[in-house]
This record gives sequence, structure tokens and C-alpha cells, in this order.
Amino acid sequence: MNIFHRGFVGLSGLLLVLAWAVIPFPAVAQTATKSDQWIHVRVESKDNNGETVRVNVPIEMAEKILPVINHDNLRQGKVHINDAHLDDVDLRALLDAVRSSKDGEYVTVQSNQDNVRISKSNGYLYIHVTEKKHKEHAEGKAGKSESSEESKVEVKVPMKVVDALFSAGKDELDVVAALRALSATGDTELVNVKDNEDTVHIWIDSKNVSD
Amino acid sequence: MLFLAKAALGLGATVALAGAYVFHEGVIRVDVDENSVGGSHVHVWLPATAVPVGLRVVPSRNLEHAAAQARPYLPVLRELSKELRKYPNADLVDVRNPGEHVRVSVHDGKIYVDAVCDTQDIHVSVPVETLGDVADRLESIAPGV
Repeated sequence: MNIFHRGFVGLSGLLLVLAWAVIPFPAVAQTATKSDQWIHVRVESKDNNGETVRVNVPIEMAEKILPVINHDNLRQGKVHINDAHLDDVDLRALLDAVRSSKDGEYVTVQSNQDNVRISKSNGYLYIHVTEKKHKEHAEGKAGKSESSEESKVEVKVPMKVVDALFSAGKDELDVVAALRALSATGDTELVNVKDNEDTVHIWIDSKNVSD
Repeated sequence: MLFLAKAALGLGATVALAGAYVFHEGVIRVDVDENSVGGSHVHVWLPATAVPVGLRVVPSRNLEHAAAQARPYLPVLRELSKELRKYPNADLVDVRNPGEHVRVSVHDGKIYVDAVCDTQDIHVSVPVETLGDVADRLESIAPGV
């Protein structure tokens, strides 16, 4: 082998090494891209600041990270309920009753201030709350004026998720189990809150960015 | 002449190999720019490999305090690093106010924290792998993790 061949071999080696340096981790990482379910949270404030908060978290990542967070009532992925006064209520029996019951409306409360509706349909538990706030404005020429503001809360939870949430024990909510159950569910809307000040939207889909 | 060529080739290969090792994990970048007259501008580029190597070189006794302080968060950091590798491109958090924008995202295996406001711009990027290396090293020092 003459010096040119050696030089060529050496140069090739150098180029290979440099290529390894230039295309290191990202290329490897991109092949591991996942298309799992993501939980999205979007909060939009309608006040003067107009703040917008968007959070996108892969459910699988949340499942892995939650068990290692031990803070206050959250221990090993479970939230301990301290003072929930659940001694007199058999929550499991209640859930069993709801699960085995036919679809329909279970609770309907209508008043001047609030409307509450809890129902079950196609394996989902729906909670709809409408709160009306009456505001009295300052007295003008035409007397006191009144306006009403309305805030709406709509929660839609798969029954499987509710079951998983209460699967840990009497005084505990198993958040990790609930997330696991949630990831098995397809794209779904979970929470919608709308009032005059804020809009909160929580949903699940397979996109890694919010709309 | 032949000897010089061999020596140059050897030296070049060594430099390339060292450079490749130093930069194979990527670069940690910190940019801080104050948007005012006479404001400071800090730009730091550091090979990510320098961090775990540096942590190994620093005597354990000097890191014990930091490790003890960070101990509650180390398992989270380790899991976060492990999991984020599966999601190389994602916008995780985005907060917008008039005059303020904070964004935490992952692109090409790097975690980016960008905070832009009227007074200053801060951009930090760290390879996800480095977070895991730091957590591993600090965990080895912090007892009882």
C-alpha cells in the first residue's frame, strides 16, 4: 500500500468519524418518534392581558413521571384524599351502581343560580354545570341595571377512566391508572370551561401540538 | 517526508476523534440578551460532553450539597430525560402574554427553554441525554435516592 492509499484510508476514516460527530443523537432519536396519545391543556384568558397557556404532554410520559413525584398528597402516582368525608359513602358501590345502570340522566338540579346535570351515555360520564352570576350595575337615570354572566363547565369522562381512578383504595385516587385507561381511549374531549374571563379546554388526541 | 505525512495523519485523526467525542452529544447553549442600552449579552456554547466529564472530575464532596438539594427532583429528571428521548420534536409548554412569551419544547433531541419579554431574551438549549447524565451522577453522590 503506498502513501496515497494510506492517505485515502485515513481520510475515509476521518470523514466517517466526523459524520458520526455531526449526525449523532437526533437522527437516532427521530427514528424513535411515537404517535401515542397526548393530553392537551389550553387556557385562554379574556381579560386585558389576554394570556394564553398551552400544555401538551404525552400520556405515556406522564404515566412514567407521576410515580416518581412524591409531593404533598401525591405519592407514587396516587392522590391521597385526606378529609373527603367519604366514610359514610361507599364510592365503589356508587360507581358500580352507575356503571351497571342504563344510560340516562342521574342528577338534574335547576335553580336561578345553577344548573347541574350528571348523566351517563355510551360509556361516558357527563357532568354539565352552568352557573349564572347576576351583576348589579350602578344606579343610573333609568334606575339600577342588571346583567347576568354565565359560566359553563362541561366534563366528559370515560367510565373506564373513572373506574381506574377509584381502583386504588378508599382514600386514594389512582391517577396513573386513570392515565393508562385514558390512553386506551381514542381522541376525546375531556373538559370545557367557558366563562366571561377564561376558557379552559382539555382534550386528548394523537397530535403532538395543540390546535 | 513520509514520516511527516504519517505524523500529520495521526495528529489529524486524533484531533478529529477527540472533536467527534466532545461534540457527539451536542452543544449546550445559553443566550441571554438584555434589550436595553448598555444591556449585557451573554452567549455560552459548551460541548454537552463537558458536563458529565466535569461532574466526574469534580470531587464528590464538592457536589454533595448540590446533590442533596436536588435529591427530590433527581428521579423526575432521570425519567424525564428517558422519556423525552422518545419524543424528539414536541412543543410542551407555551405561555403567551402581551410582551412575554415562554416556550419549552423539544427538537432533535434537545430541550429548548425560550423566554422572551420586553426587557430580555433568554434562550437555553440542552441535549436531553445530558439531563440523564447529570441526574445519574448526582444520584450516585446523593445517598438514599
